[in-house]
Amino acid sequence: MESFELTVNGCVERVQAPTQWTLLQLLRDGLGLLGTKEGCGEGSCGACTVLVDGRLTRSCLSLALRAAGRSVLTVEGLGANGRRDPIQEAFVRHGAIQCGFCTPGMVIATRALLGVNPTPEDHEIREFLSGNFCRCGGYTQIVNAVRELAGRRPTAVNRGENA
Amino acid sequence: MILRPFKYVECGSVDEATTTLKQYGDGARIIAGGTALVPMMKHRLLRPEVLVSVIQVPGLGDIAAGPDGGLRLGALATHWEISRSPLVKRESPLLAYACGRVASPTVRSMATLGGNLCYGESASDPSPALLALRARVRVVGSGGERTLPLTEFFTGFYETGLAEDEVLTAVEVPPLAPGARWRYLKWVPRAQEDKALVGLAAVLVLDGRHCRMARLGLGGVAASPVVLRRTEQSLEGRELDERTSAEAGEVAAAEVEPMEDLQGSADYRRDMLRVWVRRVVADLATGGGER
Ligand SMILES: Cc1cc2nc3c(=O)[nH]c(=O)nc-3n(C[C@H](O)[C@H](O)[C@H](O)COP(=O)(O)OP(=O)(O)OC[C@H]3O[C@@H](n4cnc5c(N)ncnc54)[C@H](O)[C@@H]3O)c2cc1C
Ligand code: FES
Ligand code: FES
Repeated sequence: MESFELTVNGCVERVQAPTQWTLLQLLRDGLGLLGTKEGCGEGSCGACTVLVDGRLTRSCLSLALRAAGRSVLTVEGLGANGRRDPIQEAFVRHGAIQCGFCTPGMVIATRALLGVNPTPEDHEIREFLSGNFCRCGGYTQIVNAVRELAGRRPTAVNRGENA
Repeated sequence: MILRPFKYVECGSVDEATTTLKQYGDGARIIAGGTALVPMMKHRLLRPEVLVSVIQVPGLGDIAAGPDGGLRLGALATHWEISRSPLVKRESPLLAYACGRVASPTVRSMATLGGNLCYGESASDPSPALLALRARVRVVGSGGERTLPLTEFFTGFYETGLAEDEVLTAVEVPPLAPGARWRYLKWVPRAQEDKALVGLAAVLVLDGRHCRMARLGLGGVAASPVVLRRTEQSLEGRELDERTSAEAGEVAAAEVEPMEDLQGSADYRRDMLRVWVRRVVADLATGGGER
């Protein structure tokens, strides 16, 4: 058992967690933050993506105790004063959410992408989000949402239906 | 998927890590980024009693110029950092590019270069590049420090020459030969984030069409990352054209013993190797530029 402090979405948390817990277990089972999802549990799908001190992290592969003293951002930490973050708004507007299982990871990865490159080209969007799987297959809408955030228009093919 | 219990030791220095490894012997494992180790533990392929963490060892992730040119990369440098480092892009663009082909940005941000090499996976992206560049690794054990060529580091299927109490501390990359053309070709049959079925790194020094030097590293085909020595020899001193490129493909296909798994049969791997050696050599010979 480990006891340590970490900051989650801006709040300092004092936690006790088994040594073998992943950060994903700590978030979901320990802190009840169910936004972050477990898909594959082995690093492939990206559903568990969070930021740790601003760094993209697969929380299913990360040991919880390594987050001691660090600051974690999950989907619950986006937006302020009861309003959604612009990334979330863009996803909603473009129909980039179907079942929503991939969305928390996609939104966090998008936040990281726009942090390093505020105006990504399509191929950069696709490459950056390549580790986040959408089992509903809504990639066109997701890329459109990120395009809009990058200040560009959605692709012609889906403009009518989703914009 | 959950992990079974283990003891976790956070080390402040390489010495502390080697001492801890020695103390626990077979039951201990280094953990760096954990992207290879944690899935293996979740799948119960490994059950270490003690995880010896080196992630907080100061300076172990430094990316610096080498003493005689080239680079010295600390074991903890991540693929994300290496692929984006202006120094690496300038001194060793092949390595920066290959590191940028590892998985996706999230995995790249966690996965370390040292962990990649010590995992010993054939389909590693940095390994073929480092083999083509004739890199060396520095390792520290309870008996002291040694440096060995990467060609001697990989010993078999997920096997390396590391002793139980040894820690890989740095990778030394010689400078790219002046005027060299390079390419890293990652052939993935399905999707972008898959592992390489053929990972071919090539460095050629040409005088017109005349090949002065050829260095070829290969991942994903044989049981471990390998140098294509006979193929290199078949190219050096010759005029490169369609015929010699095709011959090099044949030499490569005959030189390695391909693996077989769910991604592809041994015959498919051999065929793809033959095709990609031919295309990459021909392309570099006709000035197909970088990558
Ligand atoms: C979804 C996914 C996709 C992937 N795709 C790719 C890919 O496209 N290309 C690719 O090359 N790899 C890929 N990998 C493999 C993996 O990410 C790399 O091998 C990674 O670089 C391992 O580094 P790590 O720091 O995470 O190592 P860890 O998991 O911490 O360790 C791996 C092994 O090396 C040992 N070790 C680690 N550091 C040291 C050290 N300094 N000294 C001695 N022993 C050490 C550990 O004991 C362990 O046995 C992928 C992994 C995942 C999960
Ligand atoms: S649950 Fe972590 S990557 Fe799939
Ligand atoms: S919306 Fe269902 S997985 Fe992406």
